[in-house]
Amino acid sequence: MTLPLYYNWRNLFVRKLTTLLTVAVIAVVVAALIVLLSFGSGMKRSVGGSGHPANLLVLNAGATAESTSLIWPEDARLLVQTPGAAVGPDGQPLVSLEIVVQTDVRRLRDGSSANVAVRGVDDAALAVHDQVRIHGRIFRQGAREAMVGRAAQSLYRGLNIGDRIALGRSRSHEYEIVGVFEAAGSAFESEIWAPRTMIADSYQRRFDSSAVIRLLDPGRIDEAAAYVNGPAVRLKAASEPEYYSQLSDQSQQVVYLVLGLVIIMAAGAVFAVANTMYAAVDGRRREIAMLRTLGFSRVAIVAAFLIEAAMIATMACGLGIAASLPFSGMRRDFLSPVTHSVTGFEIVITPGICLAALVAAILVGIVGAAAPAARAARTPIVRALRRG
Amino acid sequence: MGAAGIVLRDVHKAYFKDRLEIPVLAGLNLEIAPGEFAALMGPSGSGKSTLLHLIGGLDTPTRGSVRVGDSQLESMSESALTAWRSRHVGFIFQMYHLVPVLTAAQNVELPLLLFRMASSERKRRVQTALSIVGLGDRTDHRPNQLSGGQEQRVAIARAIVTDPDVLLADEPTGDLDARTSEEILNLLNALNTEFGKTIVMVTHDPRAAGHAGRTLHLDKGVLDREEVNTRRAATASAS
Repeated sequence: MTLPLYYNWRNLFVRKLTTLLTVAVIAVVVAALIVLLSFGSGMKRSVGGSGHPANLLVLNAGATAESTSLIWPEDARLLVQTPGAAVGPDGQPLVSLEIVVQTDVRRLRDGSSANVAVRGVDDAALAVHDQVRIHGRIFRQGAREAMVGRAAQSLYRGLNIGDRIALGRSRSHEYEIVGVFEAAGSAFESEIWAPRTMIADSYQRRFDSSAVIRLLDPGRIDEAAAYVNGPAVRLKAASEPEYYSQLSDQSQQVVYLVLGLVIIMAAGAVFAVANTMYAAVDGRRREIAMLRTLGFSRVAIVAAFLIEAAMIATMACGLGIAASLPFSGMRRDFLSPVTHSVTGFEIVITPGICLAALVAAILVGIVGAAAPAARAARTPIVRALRRG
Repeated sequence: MGAAGIVLRDVHKAYFKDRLEIPVLAGLNLEIAPGEFAALMGPSGSGKSTLLHLIGGLDTPTRGSVRVGDSQLESMSESALTAWRSRHVGFIFQMYHLVPVLTAAQNVELPLLLFRMASSERKRRVQTALSIVGLGDRTDHRPNQLSGGQEQRVAIARAIVTDPDVLLADEPTGDLDARTSEEILNLLNALNTEFGKTIVMVTHDPRAAGHAGRTLHLDKGVLDREEVNTRRAATASAS
């Protein structure tokens, strides 16, 4: 039988300052963990959630990203014969040839420089990337016009409808922004899209970066990939979600690095809890001995101290969540180490992340209290009563 | 529960300090009848408290046997002794040992939490125990809001709330003034005569021992002599 919870709760406030300091230490860890997990999940949602399962993304063999891939026109022509390719309204296979380059823009937040992806596309792009929804209008092919993703518009300067942006190798060509598009929160929303032919001209590119082939049936993706990878074409194909998922995993490395720091902080919090609980045990040795005399078992004594630590951790978790809430809804970007361009994402603190933080906080509390609780259970009854 | 008799046979107890054996009890034999009120006296280090701890199952003898009621304590495991204490013994300490963050009623309720019992039944028993010790109107007071005598009354209520066979009191008046001591001793007397509890009380105070039916004098770990308190015996037989 365990001691009543009001016994544990009231004992927390016998040493108010120590308890509150421990709460503060765990709260810092909780807040850092929540922000980090939200950061990681926002990145994952933005990049990892991109792509359509019926789209086959083609790069040249050896390329790891669109930005470092070259597809020559003679190879691109072979892609129209991909088995299982869907057919557009014009009767042609739905193959979107795309050029991906970067341009430098300034962040709205602090004016710092960011490398934003510029994607040159034909009309077929809107058929294969059918999650794209345009506000304003789409650029006209043959005109120096562009549209920008919603995330890019909200993060960077000079990307509103009517603004003009200088693109090209020597930034010598000005493009008028005529539309803003959404793409279901995917990485495309961090890009600037313009006519492929105009981008090829501005950047003096005679080759494309990638091709996206819409298949009739996602189940035929292996057959289509085998054709592209095979001797007839000798390019590299992967399903679009798979490509973005890999990009996301590579981008998460920074999250894992910071997670290492949070774990070190958590270890510090474990020592803070241990210190507090050791003080509590030493200050209550007579009380523990009396409880043991009454008939409370060693397990009940261990449980009492673990419950007190869990209460401290739960309070700390509440404080940590409150401290991290101002970050929720914040938009930030990160530079992908693979594409060398930035992707915007939103930090969203979800109930799942809060639950994970609560579990982590309670774990910190329990681990920190384990040794002091064991010491409490081993309190020699007779000696503790005599020293009273 | 009814009262339980206490029988100790050839009880030895030694402690070790820096590998040095320190004998405390050296072949002690003792019998306390069910419903008896016995006082243990003797100089410091004579083994009074050690004897009390052995009778209460807080410690085990190095050699010999300790029987309380039907229970042979020296052969019981630690967890069995823990459970046994909760059912059969009530402890009263010199320093009361109340939990400072709990009210008087919550302190008294603590031993009942070890039993399967409805909350209403627990509350009824707590109220009864506090009424017996004359603190029925102090249920919501915390220890720091009570006098020393009142704290000891709460400790006595905590000791009797489970209706144990035996009450063990270690210097219960050692921290109290003369008038309050008298009140506490009268309360112990009443628990013995009216409720038939077997009481063993350690004390240094001959006046306190005078409230017991028999005083056992310990010296150097053995029973040196014993005396029957005729005045108390006469009072008990008159009542």
